[in-house]
Amino acid sequence: MTSLKSLVDYSARILPPDDREAVLGDLIESNATVPQSLREIFGLYLRQQVLLWNNWRPWLAAFGLAIPGSLLLIGLSISVSVAYLRLLAPAVIKATGHTIGVGFMLFLCNLLLLVAWTWTGGFIMSSISRLTIRISATLSFIPCFFCLERFHVRSLSRLCLLLFLVPAIYGVRRGLQIAQIKLHSALLLAIAITLLTIPTWTIKDAWLPNWALGWPTWYLVITAIRNRNRSPQEHSTWRTS
Amino acid sequence: MLGEFEYLLITAAVSLGDSAYGTAIRQEIEFSTGRKCSVGALYTTIDRLESKGLIKTCMGGATPQRGGRAKRMVRVTLIGIQSAKEFYEAVTSISRDASWVSPSIGGVNRIGGLE
Repeated sequence: MTSLKSLVDYSARILPPDDREAVLGDLIESNATVPQSLREIFGLYLRQQVLLWNNWRPWLAAFGLAIPGSLLLIGLSISVSVAYLRLLAPAVIKATGHTIGVGFMLFLCNLLLLVAWTWTGGFIMSSISRLTIRISATLSFIPCFFCLERFHVRSLSRLCLLLFLVPAIYGVRRGLQIAQIKLHSALLLAIAITLLTIPTWTIKDAWLPNWALGWPTWYLVITAIRNRNRSPQEHSTWRTS
Repeated sequence: MLGEFEYLLITAAVSLGDSAYGTAIRQEIEFSTGRKCSVGALYTTIDRLESKGLIKTCMGGATPQRGGRAKRMVRVTLIGIQSAKEFYEAVTSISRDASWVSPSIGGVNRIGGLE
């Protein structure tokens, strides 16, 4: 019986802390059986999950950012890895006698863009819909698995496809921690990213990644402007959402 | 305009006053309507009403009969009371000529309820 009760307690961990506390207390008070308790807990969880999607933010995070973003960033990761091999790999330099200067600036811009776009994408993804971040993160892995399955280039490791993961994870973590950044930081980031895309403006097919990966930075700026104009909420014991 | 269940929840919370929390509201609704009220329906409605500013909630004290777990206390705001009043007036108004409304009583039949 104790193990069944701990099963109820364990299952209730899927709920937010305040809801968990209140619901477990309510179930104990109403003498609910273990199956009834489990049904009520999962019923509440399902309702909460469905209601989260009754809003544009999780849809934007999942289908406007996670899936297309990871697909484009995989492409950029490969491009950066190839450029690295061509320009900087010691064995290649030694064998070909090439100097580092050729195309180095473009490589550097792409590398910085990869980090900046990925961090910003992760940050926005988690900050605009933090309660659905697990689903968004899972969806962002779909293109990764698809590409990992089909990627066969002898000179490149498959891990090259996932170069963007580290800044993405860092961005998601920051988004969950602080939700928004200050206006001057957002503006600086947006201007820096836009400047870094200048060398690609002459490339015919670069407009798609530039726009698809660049909008989150300007979204960050707009959000920062909006939040700056808001007055801080009064602190109270009573929650008002 | 409130939904039916939102109205029931607000009215139950107003009736219970300072003792309005999850289990008490559920019992009040189940007693009045004769229908089962799930925890999921209750708490998602509480969240929705809270986001609309019709109620406020806070975590209250723990009691031994709850296994030391805290209660989520509910308080109806002035906007919530106004919305419930508008709902009640709308239902009363539209029901005045309905066949199940007894003219001698002048109110909504308890058996018909709000369903």
